Amino acid sequence: MSRSPDPPAAADPRQLRRIIAEDAHWFLNTVPSLSNLCLQSIVNHFEERPIWEGLSPVHKDFVQERLSTSMPLHVTANLIHDGVYWKRCCENRGGIRDLTHYGNSWKRMFFEKHMENMIELFIPDVTEPKTFVEMVPLCKDYIKRLNISQLLPPVTEPQKKEEEYGSELVIENEDGPSMDHFDFNIMLDKLTNLEEFHVVYRVKQCGLNFECKMFEMTHRDCESLAKAVKSCKTLKILRLNLSHMEDTKCRLLVKYLLDHPSLRELDLSHNLIGDKGARAIGKLLNRSSLETLNLCDNNIGGPGAKALAHALSMNSTLLSLNLRLNRLRDEGGQAIGKALLNNNTLLLLHLGANEVTWPSAIALSKVLVQRSTLKSLNLSCNNLGVDGGKALEEAMSNNSSLTECDIRLTEVEEQSASFVNQVVWTNQSLEQRRHARESKTKKTSTAVY
Amino acid sequence: MENSDMDPEEAYEPSEMFENEEAKSGASTQEDEEDPDMKVDEEPYEIHEKQILPQRVINLNRDLTTLVTNIQTAADAKESLRRAELEEARRLRLERLEKDLKSSQEIFEEITRGWSLSTQRAIPQELHEALNNQQQLCDALIEDKKKLINDLQQELKVGDDRYVKDLRKQTEELDLMMERMEDQIKTLIKAYREELTQIERVYTQESEILLTKDKIEWDQHMKGLWEEELKRLKQRTVKVEEYENIIHNLMIETWSKHSIIQTKQHASFQVLERESKQLRMAKFTKTHTRHEIAESKFSLTNIKTRLSRMKKQMANLSDKYKSQRDEFTKKSRYLSEDYKRKIKQYERIQKQLKHFAVADGRKFEEMWLMIDAEVKQLVERALDIDSQICKQHLGVAWERPVMGFMELCGPIQPQGVPQLLHTGQDSQDSQRMMDPSVRKEIEAEGSAVQTESGAEEEEEKLPMETLKGVMELLCDKAGFLMEDKLLKLLIPLGKEEQTVVKLGSLLPYIGIEEEDIPKLAAFLLKYRHQQREQTEDVCDGSAESNNKAEEEETEPTTHLTSDLDPYDVVPALKSFLRQHMRSRESSARQHLHEAARDSSEDEAYWQSMGSVICEDQLRLWDTAENKLRQYQAVLAEISALVPETESLQQQNRELRMLLQQTLKVSTDLEM
Repeated sequence: MSRSPDPPAAADPRQLRRIIAEDAHWFLNTVPSLSNLCLQSIVNHFEERPIWEGLSPVHKDFVQERLSTSMPLHVTANLIHDGVYWKRCCENRGGIRDLTHYGNSWKRMFFEKHMENMIELFIPDVTEPKTFVEMVPLCKDYIKRLNISQLLPPVTEPQKKEEEYGSELVIENEDGPSMDHFDFNIMLDKLTNLEEFHVVYRVKQCGLNFECKMFEMTHRDCESLAKAVKSCKTLKILRLNLSHMEDTKCRLLVKYLLDHPSLRELDLSHNLIGDKGARAIGKLLNRSSLETLNLCDNNIGGPGAKALAHALSMNSTLLSLNLRLNRLRDEGGQAIGKALLNNNTLLLLHLGANEVTWPSAIALSKVLVQRSTLKSLNLSCNNLGVDGGKALEEAMSNNSSLTECDIRLTEVEEQSASFVNQVVWTNQSLEQRRHARESKTKKTSTAVY
Repeated sequence: MENSDMDPEEAYEPSEMFENEEAKSGASTQEDEEDPDMKVDEEPYEIHEKQILPQRVINLNRDLTTLVTNIQTAADAKESLRRAELEEARRLRLERLEKDLKSSQEIFEEITRGWSLSTQRAIPQELHEALNNQQQLCDALIEDKKKLINDLQQELKVGDDRYVKDLRKQTEELDLMMERMEDQIKTLIKAYREELTQIERVYTQESEILLTKDKIEWDQHMKGLWEEELKRLKQRTVKVEEYENIIHNLMIETWSKHSIIQTKQHASFQVLERESKQLRMAKFTKTHTRHEIAESKFSLTNIKTRLSRMKKQMANLSDKYKSQRDEFTKKSRYLSEDYKRKIKQYERIQKQLKHFAVADGRKFEEMWLMIDAEVKQLVERALDIDSQICKQHLGVAWERPVMGFMELCGPIQPQGVPQLLHTGQDSQDSQRMMDPSVRKEIEAEGSAVQTESGAEEEEEKLPMETLKGVMELLCDKAGFLMEDKLLKLLIPLGKEEQTVVKLGSLLPYIGIEEEDIPKLAAFLLKYRHQQREQTEDVCDGSAESNNKAEEEETEPTTHLTSDLDPYDVVPALKSFLRQHMRSRESSARQHLHEAARDSSEDEAYWQSMGSVICEDQLRLWDTAENKLRQYQAVLAEISALVPETESLQQQNRELRMLLQQTLKVSTDLEM
C-alpha cells in the first residue's frame, strides 16, 4: 500500500485487476437470472399479454409481488388467485381491515371494498351505471357481503338555486324521481354469492349541506330495493337501518320479501315502523324462515305487537326477537306473553323500554314457569313495579332454563331482583356444566369412533 | 302515523338514534368481546371442578358487564322517557293547535260575518267603523297566530338546545362506556392473570406435594429394602459362622476319631507285632512253650499264613536279587571291558600325541632352517645393495656390520624344548631352569615340601593298610568338618563303611580327589618324619628317637597311627593342600610350555635380522633414491635430446655437403 503507483505497478497487469472489496453492495448475484428477467418482462407487459397459468407457484409468487396494483380489473380479476397481489391492492386502496371478517381472503376483501366504494360514491344521473354492469361479472364470485354505509342523493344544487330564487311552488316539482338513490336492481341479482346485505340510506359527513331528505329512502328506492332483494336468491341477512322507513315502505318491502327462500335474519332497527308495518312483518314471519328479527327503536304500539304475537304463536322458526325501544305497553306485552305459551322455539326476547308494567310481567312469568325454551329475557327500563318483581321471583323459583334476565330500572324490589339474579347465575353454571358434559361426551364419542 | 308529520324535533331523531345504535353496537361488541373470554376461561374451570371455582372471576365478569350495560339501559330509559315526554308535548301542542284553530275559526267567522254586515251598511262612517272593527279582529287573529308561531318556534329552539344537550350527554356517556369497557378489560385481564398464576401455583404446589410424597414413599421403601437386605445378610453371616463352626467341629471330630483309630490300629499292630514276635520266640522255643502255642493257636494260623506270604515274598525278592546281581555283574563286566578299551585308546592317543609332537618339532626345525636360510640370503642381499650404494653411488667406504646371529643355525634353544619332550616328568633340572622363581617359592615354603617326584615314587611303595590307617586318622581328625547328622547316621555302620562315607563327604570339602589320597598319605608320613627330625635336631637327637624312626621306616604300617601326632595332622594337611595346589598349577603351566614354546627370543632374533640395515642407513637410502631419481630424469631429458642433436648434426652435415657442392659449383663456374 505504501508503494507509490509507479510504472512497475502499471507494468504488472495483475495489479491493474482488482476487486473493490470496500463496496458493501457488491454481490456476486447482481446479475439477475434469466428466469427473473423473463418474469419481470411478464410483469411489465401483463396488461397486453397476461401470462399466468403456465407459471410455477414460485414464479407466480414472484409475479404477484411485483405486479402493478393499478392493473385494470378485467385483466386480473378472474386470473390471479387469492394472495399477495390482492393484499397489496387492499393496502393501496387505503387500509386493511380484519382479514377474519372476510373469510381469510384478500381477494374477497378487495372486491367487497371496491364494490362498496363504488356504490357509496355513486351519484345518480352522474355516474354511468355501465361501470357497474361491467364490474359485476368480474367480482360476482368473490362478493359475499355488502356493507354500504351511505348512499349519495342526486345532485340538487341547480334546483337549490332555483329554490333560492323561486317561490315555494317550485318545491312541488322537486318531488320528482330525481331524489332516488342508487338502484340495486342492476346488480344485486347477478351477485350469485351474496349472503349479507347491509344498507343505510344516509350521507356521511354532510356538514352544512344537511337536508332531511338525505336521510330518507324514497318510495321508489324502497320498491327497487325490495325487488333487488327478492331477485337475490342467496341472501341470508338483510339489514336496513336508519333509513326512515315508514309503514308504507315497510309494507312494500315485506310484500316483496314474502316467501324469500334463504333469508334468515332481518334487521329493520332504528326506523319508523308503526303498527301497520308490524302487522306486515307478522305476516312475513310465517311466510319465511326468519330466525332473527330485530325491530328495535321503532314505533310499534299495542296493535302491532298483537299482530306479532299472533304470528309468534304460529311460528316455529324464530329464535330471537328484539323489540327494544318500542311502545308495546301492556297490551302488547300481555299478547306476547300469551303467544309464547304456544311457542317452542324462541330463545331470546328483548322487551326493554316498552312501557310494559306488571300485567305483562305476570304473563311472562307464566311463560317462564310453563315453558323452558326461553334462555334470555330482557325487561329493563319498564315500570314493572313490586308486583311484577314478585311474580318474576316466583316464576324464577320454578325455572331452570333462563340464563339471562335483565330487570334493571324496573322498580322491582331489591330482594326479588337479587333472587332472580341468583337463580339466573345458578342456571348459568348448570348450563355450563351441561355444555362441558356434552363436549366431553362428544370428545369421548369421537375418541371411540 | 302522527310521527309521520314532520316535526322539527323528529327530524333530528335519526342521527340521535344513530348515536344510540352506536352505543348499543358498542355494547354488543363489548359483549362479544367478553363472551369468548368467558368460554375460554370457564372451560378449564369446568374441567378442574375439584379446585376452587373462580367465583371471583364470574362475579367480576357480571359486575363489570352490568356496570357497562347499566349506561345503555339508563340511556334506553331516558330515551323512552323522552319519547313519553315528546308524546305528551305533541299531544299538548295538538290540543293547543286545536284550541287555536277553534278560536281563530270563531274569529274568522266573526270576521266573515262582519264582512257580510259591512256590505249591508251604506253609511260610510258605519262602514269605516266596521272596517276598523274588522281590521282589529284581523290584527288580533294575526297576533294570536304570530304568538302561536313564536311559542312554537321557542319550543323548537328549546327542543334544539335539548337535542344538543342530549347529544353531548350521549357522547359523555359513550366516553364513559368506553372507559368502563377499557377498565373492564384491564381488570379482567388482571383477574385472569392472577387466576392463572394461582392455578399455576396450585398446580406446582400439588406437584411438589406429590413429588415429596413420592420421594418419602420411595425413601421409606428403600429403607425397608435396605433393612431387609441387611437382616438377611446378617442372618447369612450368622449361618455361615454356624456352618463353619460345625464344619470345624466335624473336622476336629473326624481328626480325633482318625487319630483314635490310628492309635488303636497302632496299638493293635503293635500287639500283633508283639504277638508275632512272641510267636516267633515261641517257634524258636517250641519245645519249651508248647502250652503257649496252644494258647495262641487262634493266632497261629494267621501268622502261618502271613509267614507263608512272607516266605513267598522273600523268595520273590531273592529271585529279584539274583537276577539283578547277574545283571549288575554283566554290566560291570561290560563296563570294565569298556574301561580297558578306553584306557588303551587313551594310551594310543598319548602315543600319537608324542609322535605328533616330535613330528611337529622336526617340521618346525626344518621350517626354521629354511626360513632362516632365506632370510639370511635376504640379509646378504640387502647388505650387498647397501654396499653397492655406499661404494658406487656415494663413494663411501662400507663396513660390514657385526652379525653374530648369522653364524647361528637352527632354531633358538633347540636344546631346551626337545629335552622337555623327551625327559617328561622326570626333568626336574630343566624345570628348575625354566622356572627358577617357582622353584624358589617352593623352597621358601619350607623344607618339608618334597618334590612331587619323590612323593610319587613313594606312592607306589605305600601299602594299602597304611593308606587305610591314614584315612581313618584323617576321618577322625577332620571330623569337625562333617555334619553331626551324618555322623549319627553313620554310627550303626561298620568301621570301614564309616571311613569310606566320611572320606566321600570330606574330600570335596578339602578339595582333594580320590586319586590324591595315596599322595596325601605319603605326604603325611613324610611330614611326621620331618617333624621328628626337627625335634630330634632340637633335642640333639636321642638314640631312641632315631631307633623309632628307623623302626618306622622299616615298619611304618604298624606304628603309623600311634606315631602320628594327632595335633600335627591338621597343619600337615594344610601344608599338603598348599603344596598340592601349587603342584597342580605348575603342572598346568608345564603343559602350556610344552604346547607353545617361548617365542620372545624368536621375535628378537627376527628383529635383529630385520634391522640389519640401520635407520641412518635407510635415511641415506631415501636421499640417495631421490637424487638418483633426479639424475634419471636428467638422463631421460638427455636421452630425449639425443635424437634432436643427431638430426641437427645430420642437417649440419647435409648443409655442409650443400655448401661444399655450391662451393664446388662456384669454383667450377669460376673455372
